[in-house]
Amino acid sequence: MRSSNARARSFKPLHLFGHVVLLTVGIVLMYPLVFMFLAGFFTKQEFASTVLGIFPIPEEPTLRNFISLFQTTGDADALMYFRNSLFRTAYMTVASVLTSFLGGYVFARLRFKGREQLFLLLLATQMIPTTIAIIPTYLEFARFPFMGGNNVFTGGTGILDTWWVYLIGGPAINIMGTFLVKQSLDKVPIELDEAAKMDGAGTTRLLFQILFPLQLPIIAFIAITSGLGTWNDFIVPFFYTNSDTLQTLPSAITRLSSVGNSPGAVVNYPLIITLSLGVTLPALLIFFFLQKYIVQGLANTGIKG
Amino acid sequence: MVHDRNAVVREVPEYGRHKGYWKRFMIRHRDAVMAAVILMPMLAFWLLLSGFPTVFGFMLGFFRWVGLADSPKFIGFDNFIRFFKDPIYTQSLWRSIWLGGLVTSITLLAGFGAALLMNLPLWGKGIYRSIWYIPAVTSTVATTQIFNLFLDTNNGVINNVLVSLGKEPIVWQYSVGWGIFWIVVYSAWKGVGGAALLWLAGLQSVDHSLYEAAEIDGAGRFGKLWNVTLPGLKPIATYVVITSLIGAIQIYEQVLFITNGGPYGQTEVLVFRIYRDGFWDFNLGMAGASSLIMAIIVIVITVFYYGWSTSSDRRTTIPLKPLRKEK
Repeated sequence: MRSSNARARSFKPLHLFGHVVLLTVGIVLMYPLVFMFLAGFFTKQEFASTVLGIFPIPEEPTLRNFISLFQTTGDADALMYFRNSLFRTAYMTVASVLTSFLGGYVFARLRFKGREQLFLLLLATQMIPTTIAIIPTYLEFARFPFMGGNNVFTGGTGILDTWWVYLIGGPAINIMGTFLVKQSLDKVPIELDEAAKMDGAGTTRLLFQILFPLQLPIIAFIAITSGLGTWNDFIVPFFYTNSDTLQTLPSAITRLSSVGNSPGAVVNYPLIITLSLGVTLPALLIFFFLQKYIVQGLANTGIKG
Repeated sequence: MVHDRNAVVREVPEYGRHKGYWKRFMIRHRDAVMAAVILMPMLAFWLLLSGFPTVFGFMLGFFRWVGLADSPKFIGFDNFIRFFKDPIYTQSLWRSIWLGGLVTSITLLAGFGAALLMNLPLWGKGIYRSIWYIPAVTSTVATTQIFNLFLDTNNGVINNVLVSLGKEPIVWQYSVGWGIFWIVVYSAWKGVGGAALLWLAGLQSVDHSLYEAAEIDGAGRFGKLWNVTLPGLKPIATYVVITSLIGAIQIYEQVLFITNGGPYGQTEVLVFRIYRDGFWDFNLGMAGASSLIMAIIVIVITVFYYGWSTSSDRRTTIPLKPLRKEK
């Protein structure tokens, strides 16, 4: 420790080089976000008439775009998208923390026939790319029995374009999370469980009052990754819903972008920027407050295994 | 005799006799019962959401099914034969592979350089680490739109700068090369911080006493890098390279938002082609066949990696998937 302090104090060309490179590239990496932030201060009229430079500084900065995120304006119901995003993210975060924790407990602590085989099978399915399931999932949702005017298989639209599209994913086991919790629980001595049971704790108490707090770092990592994943996800709302009342921020942006528009249509960039700020700023806030867990968790998933 | 006969009857389970049967069953198989109670619902929903659609998707590959109103017709391997005969598909597959390779190598090399610098005892290196990682937590949809704003034909930032420098503006959307270029730039922008973090964790896991030993042996900075750091990183390197490669050959969101496959489908990658077949052309059979081929490629890479890494080092037996997507 002392030697590294001494090293830091003395001037070294390599360290200067390190600072210069890390800072310069860091600024370049931040640039698109800085641009987004600055563009957020334009009024719609000024944005349309300004020739955008490298740093767009408006002559009359306005906070209207930031405020309109929490309002229903003539252009879009940003508040509703925001609420939908928030609800979906909260639901999926809680759900994946619960399924990972319970799944991890089952595979780490309970003894039953075929446990190892089942666990390996689940892990093996993680190899298969998820993008390929988008279309079959669409068909499955459309043919969901007894929903949306369906008889047994067809007839209506199934659960497409309903809240069920968002809710149905919750109880499904989060396999990567299960893996991480199992890894982390394997390091907790089983004597702890036994001692707790001796003292008269039931299984629920053991799980949520003793083991859960111990797993907090890894649980935080699972919550952050699945929360950010859901928050930024446009696939589920964009592909499986259609009504405006069900859109989240990312899918609303997708619909405004060239992907959702007819080719050649003029893209409403001021609105896109407003909604993009709505997606990006909360993600950055979460990152700043909880980055410790991300760094730790990434190191855990990647290396210690 | 009477006593004996009663004893025999007692051993045959009869209804109403053994009130404690289920209770004892529960106690004897306590773990299995609890595991079943917890796992069954979670696995059922998982099957409904992932298991079944995946298998269903693979099966689509063996059917001719164009348009949702059409009824599927079994055609065996015809879709796969078409896949390898039609240049649209072979080219998009090839593009996926080399684009994935390009993105992986740029991201990982830049990330490695950054990690080496972040590993120095610099003042404020935690801040650098955070700044570099920030792009990874942003939404692809939102940030690609900012890139589109840079690349806009009429009022794009880059073209405005070019014009103010007295150069001709470029219509980025008409050029295949520029389309690929910006897809690679975006992917590197988003991925380099994560790569740097992984490499950094790897660098910090290298045994420090080896450095001291190397110093005693008179090794310089590059000698230490070459003889201690790189060999020490090997097990982690295989993991990082393979996960990045698997992620990169499945890139399609940036393609969708930046070039949308254009001009004339010449920046289409395979996963983008799957999306296009499924949601624009409603050629569900070809979408299924392409997905099966993509899955096979990913599985082959993974199996090779597992075979190789477990034969050379047992430290990295980890499932291969970046923990990012959540359905």
